[in-house]
Amino acid sequence: MRNFGNSWGLFAKWTAVVLSGGYLALAGAQNTPKTPKGMTTSIPGELPGIHLVSPVPDGQWILPAGDFANTRYSPLSQITNKNVQSLHVVATMSDGIDHGQEGQPLVVDNTLYWVTPFPNNLIAYDLTRPGFPIKWTFQPHPSRRAVGVACCDTVNRGASYARGKIVYNTLDDHTVAVDAKTGKLVWETAVGSIRYGETETMAPLVVHGIVYVGISGGEMGVRGRLTALDLKTGKILWRAWSTGSDKDVRIGPGFHAYYPKDQGKNLGITSWNPGQWKHGGGPVWGWISYDPELNLIFYGTGNPGPWDADMRPGSNHWTCTIWARDPKTGYAKWAYQIVPHDSWDYDAIMENIPVDMPWHGKQRKLLLHPARNGYMVVMDRTTGQILSAEPFVHVNWANGFNLKTGMPNINPNKRTHAGKYTMNICPSSTGGKDFIPSSFDPQTGYLYIPAHNTCMDYEGMSVNYIAGTPYLGASVRMYPGPGGYQGKLIAWDVATAKPVWSIKDKLFPVYSGVLSTGGGLVFYGTLEGWFRAVDARTGKVLWQFKTGSGIIGDPITFTGPHGKQYVAVFSGIGGWMGASDFPSISADDPYATLGANGAMRNIKAYTKPGDTMYVFAL
Amino acid sequence: MRSCLAMIIIALLAIATGCNGSGPAVAAGAEPAIRTNVGPIPGASSASIGQKDPYANDPIAAENGRRLFVWYNCYGCHGGHGGGGMGPSLRRKHFIFGHRGAQIYDSIAEGRSRGMPAWGTKIPSGQIWQLVAYIQSLRTPQEPDPPTEPANEQVPNPMHNNRIAIGTQSQH
Repeated sequence: MRNFGNSWGLFAKWTAVVLSGGYLALAGAQNTPKTPKGMTTSIPGELPGIHLVSPVPDGQWILPAGDFANTRYSPLSQITNKNVQSLHVVATMSDGIDHGQEGQPLVVDNTLYWVTPFPNNLIAYDLTRPGFPIKWTFQPHPSRRAVGVACCDTVNRGASYARGKIVYNTLDDHTVAVDAKTGKLVWETAVGSIRYGETETMAPLVVHGIVYVGISGGEMGVRGRLTALDLKTGKILWRAWSTGSDKDVRIGPGFHAYYPKDQGKNLGITSWNPGQWKHGGGPVWGWISYDPELNLIFYGTGNPGPWDADMRPGSNHWTCTIWARDPKTGYAKWAYQIVPHDSWDYDAIMENIPVDMPWHGKQRKLLLHPARNGYMVVMDRTTGQILSAEPFVHVNWANGFNLKTGMPNINPNKRTHAGKYTMNICPSSTGGKDFIPSSFDPQTGYLYIPAHNTCMDYEGMSVNYIAGTPYLGASVRMYPGPGGYQGKLIAWDVATAKPVWSIKDKLFPVYSGVLSTGGGLVFYGTLEGWFRAVDARTGKVLWQFKTGSGIIGDPITFTGPHGKQYVAVFSGIGGWMGASDFPSISADDPYATLGANGAMRNIKAYTKPGDTMYVFAL
Repeated sequence: MRSCLAMIIIALLAIATGCNGSGPAVAAGAEPAIRTNVGPIPGASSASIGQKDPYANDPIAAENGRRLFVWYNCYGCHGGHGGGGMGPSLRRKHFIFGHRGAQIYDSIAEGRSRGMPAWGTKIPSGQIWQLVAYIQSLRTPQEPDPPTEPANEQVPNPMHNNRIAIGTQSQH
């Protein structure tokens, strides 16, 4: 125990160095100070020129994506493409909940932590004892009313560990910090209100002793924001709103948007009809990443509200926007609105992965954003310039991006309007991929994207704002896209902006996160419940195991107390697309579950709800 | 025998007094304490208590109810045509809080603990009954604006260009 205490002290010291401005010294990998136990900066087999800016998980898993950069890569290499055939289950745990289990567990100090869907219990398991018995359970008892305002099932996407605390969000808008050793509440802060349709589903990120928390409710007319809290006390330090004045949005003198379309005063007000920005959406419900070298946090904002675009003429800044902000002050460095005047629910909340690598012959500081709108967007993360945007699924709402102006070349026939069905739009609102996170493997240079092939019909409808009820304004029906399949795992070569291989799923979208490892393996799951290990280079499925329910969680890997490598994943269907499996949803209404039901109605014949965590080892 | 009868009378009087002392008397024909039973009813089965549904099988009320279903954002939670979402499907035979008209009315008016708002303070009773009429028409031939299924997924898409063809393998 003492050893771990010391190593976490080191971690605190390391972050303290970063905090004091010493991060500049990190610019060269050689100058990196000692990396905390359970993380490493040494990545054997890294492709020449590729540099990951954050240490990666090497034994523990203390952040939602394992690292600050959201690569979801671990160099652990006991389990390889040679021996993965003998991977088997060593433990299973249940939380007794029949709602979707998104996100991933954490592993800190030989303890495995699980944040469940509503009622958001935190369960700690002891990895030092056989069968991984429960150490304690923390129950925050969120309000039951939150269930009725959560758009897409009562999910939770996980926790962050920092300085002895497990920090996560409850569905009824409270951020809680729990003592990682004792399971006792340290602080609890309300960051939103279910009265206004706000919920919390995202996994907070902790950087430099500051907790970053977003908000969900893009279908409820919320006003999105990023909230920063003090890790010690839970006190709210600042809020960066997604709409409103430059002051509210935290745009100051240090801000420079790369494209003229994103420049101008108070765009968060002036790009809306008067007052509409107050219910304009732009929720922050996805992943936050951090680049310790540039000292910037990156995240995206969600769709504008309502879904009926005709009701809100204008570009609707700063919804569907990717942000780079100073982690301490929250002030924006740059912003890029990827979908101006969104008419399809193409949230821009997907993971943003900072990677340094050669790009067209030059070493560049890239930001990888596999967008919900179906484009794989590569940006220069120092400026917010787009370097490339190539479709990774079938796309017809736009014909590429104009890299000079930053504008998508929108297909006017696929623009949606009130009172008219626009047919056969690809991808559907659920996207070319949803928030379900991809993984970047520095050994192959590939981004492994969990993708959907789903299209939709979409009719805008005028809607009244009634606080705490859906501010939707659309009738949507989804269905499988062309080609006779509905999902695929894509290995995307970042350097050439082309797919290398893919594994198709005929029946359902790929709705599980991806993990890549130093053993040359990629792990992911299917909505039917298969958990698979795939050869990272060839896409050959080397091993698979049928879990108890559909997989919408994200696999992780860690080392046990005796040095053995484990892989863990949640099984438990739900979420937006998986909700069609619930008995409370009827298959005969394709417009149910915000339209996803049309594409998912067969799911009841393949799997049933119920959350289990599976832990595998050789 | 006489003393026995007297004892019974005394006992009955005591019970009556006790009842009067501890709560209101239940007189025949009085309003029941509640209109909707959420839990089971003790004793032998009885007919449902509650208000009479003024719009039972009224197609115009169902159509108005459909309009209100959209107007009051009900479809955002319960699905475009009542199939469910944030809230449960209304196209099922079994409702958590009862499927009879008066029970559906109460669920709308009173709200329910998992997030169903209490609309009784916001919208007039007649409109709630029209919503009830719409909900009861679902899955029947009288359903206004039923969920239609355009057959466009069967039409090949000429814009389709399968860019991802390398190393593709099917798992099924």
